[in-house]
Amino acid sequence: MLPPLLFVTVLLLVPIVFIALYSIGLRTNIPGNPTSFSLYNWKDFLTGGGGAFRSRFIYSMKITLFVSVVTTIAAYPLAYFLSFVARRHRYALLLLLLAPFFTSYLLRVIAWQIILNNDGVVNSLLWSLHLRPHGDAVTWLIYSNFSVALVLFYTWIPFVALPIFVVLENMDHRLAEAASDLGASRTATFWKVTFPLSLPGVVAGFVFVLIPTTGEFIAPLFVGGPNNQLFGNSIQAFFSDSPDWNYGSVLALTLIVVVLILMVVFGRFLNTDLRAGPRGDS
Amino acid sequence: MKPVGRFGALSLNVYFWAFVAFLFAPLIVLVIFSMNNSMTPTLPLSGFTTKWFDQAFSNSELTGAVVRSAGIALTTSVFATALGVMASIGLMALRGRALALAVATLLLPLVVPYISLAVGLLILLQTLGAGPSLGAVVLGHAVITLPFAILVVLPRLRSLDPAMNEAALDLGASSLAAFRLITLPLIVPALVSSGIICFVTSFDEFAIASFLAPAGQPTYPIFLYASVRTPALLPDVIAIGAIVIVASLLLVVAAEGGRRWAERRLVGAGAALEIPVEEAAISVIAPG
Repeated sequence: MLPPLLFVTVLLLVPIVFIALYSIGLRTNIPGNPTSFSLYNWKDFLTGGGGAFRSRFIYSMKITLFVSVVTTIAAYPLAYFLSFVARRHRYALLLLLLAPFFTSYLLRVIAWQIILNNDGVVNSLLWSLHLRPHGDAVTWLIYSNFSVALVLFYTWIPFVALPIFVVLENMDHRLAEAASDLGASRTATFWKVTFPLSLPGVVAGFVFVLIPTTGEFIAPLFVGGPNNQLFGNSIQAFFSDSPDWNYGSVLALTLIVVVLILMVVFGRFLNTDLRAGPRGDS
Repeated sequence: MKPVGRFGALSLNVYFWAFVAFLFAPLIVLVIFSMNNSMTPTLPLSGFTTKWFDQAFSNSELTGAVVRSAGIALTTSVFATALGVMASIGLMALRGRALALAVATLLLPLVVPYISLAVGLLILLQTLGAGPSLGAVVLGHAVITLPFAILVVLPRLRSLDPAMNEAALDLGASSLAAFRLITLPLIVPALVSSGIICFVTSFDEFAIASFLAPAGQPTYPIFLYASVRTPALLPDVIAIGAIVIVASLLLVVAAEGGRRWAERRLVGAGAALEIPVEEAAISVIAPG
């Protein structure tokens, strides 16, 4: 027990403490800078001249929320199909849905870059079908909000379908049968019985995309333009291109705190029903 | 009345298969262009060739990066799985508040964004006066994969009948011998699953590696990031990428098939199918 706990403490909790120390000026990577307690960087980020990073943060959260909502809505029918229509082969089909998730994320992002590029697969297809004059590219396909959102949607949808599927599988299907026996239409049965019962899975799926997307910075590196960089990209910049670890630590700690808050807020909704075993007839 | 009508079932079928096509499209694009006789991945296709594979395999920087990442991933998966077994056994003995606290600590890496963890580890290294190294990358990857190992191994441990271990102890086995002879063989499927998940995660990890790997020793993802900006390297990247994609798809299928086979052998025929990896992922949300 002790070695793993110690391991996580040294390599996760201690680094977070160091980030906190850097964010309040008690340590610095800039030679000659005084190391004394200062909230200057925090003030600058939260209320002062750091408006660019504040708006970057807000832009990031907007994209994240948008992608999370759209992904959750789009994933629901997939889970519903697996649980209620596919029946016999549902585990094989679930694996089919999840398989791309287990291949390299970077390669899939690069593939999207190849597909969406100005001289990429989609545009060259349009040209060779003479749907657009050669060389006249659809430019919003890449380095845009669209491309960043599409890649994130693509990445997370199988993983959102998963918890919804598990809840649908564990649900007592006699309740829906009872509703229809008592005369409810299919639509009424779905909206009044099945859907409310599946909400824990929906929230879980939503969180499964919300949490990782909040800290995302890889997709914008490949398919985002200068205006589509996320908050994570700002953090990366402060620790590589123009090192200012103090300011970067403010952003890095903000991101951790935001994610933990999201976890606390949504974690409360996730405690029910998710751990029940598979239904008996499986 | 069935929950879905005939028209509903048809629509859901179309929707599902359209999504499968969407999910596999980028993978198929990579595989197609890895065999396309053109420097640039554009349509129409220019004929079949295998020359990019030859060229990619003779690109020693690329193959070196792949081998380096494979080494890191292998070390990470063994290390993280070993830590995961230790943690799981420890968690089995805990109750109440101690259990909740230990679980929260051990699973924390799941929610801390990789970019924040990466810069934290960079700061830690610098504070310790150590430079970037591949060892540091392994340690970083072990932190982020440890929760996966626990989530795969712990449910398997919990599913074992404690009487088996007690019987071994009653018959005079030391607790180490009981673990080695009774528990360990029974959790082998979980160890394999854990090893695969940790390997795949580490092999593909960019954020932590980009901050902790030494400049002259790029991992495969770092090489990918650097090379997509160089059009001349793109065919090599696509060729190796196609191989990696096909290999990991085969691995997923083989792992799932192997797991079902192993479960049948261990649990006995007729056992209910379960999906430990996925359910483990669910139980992230509701630990303890």
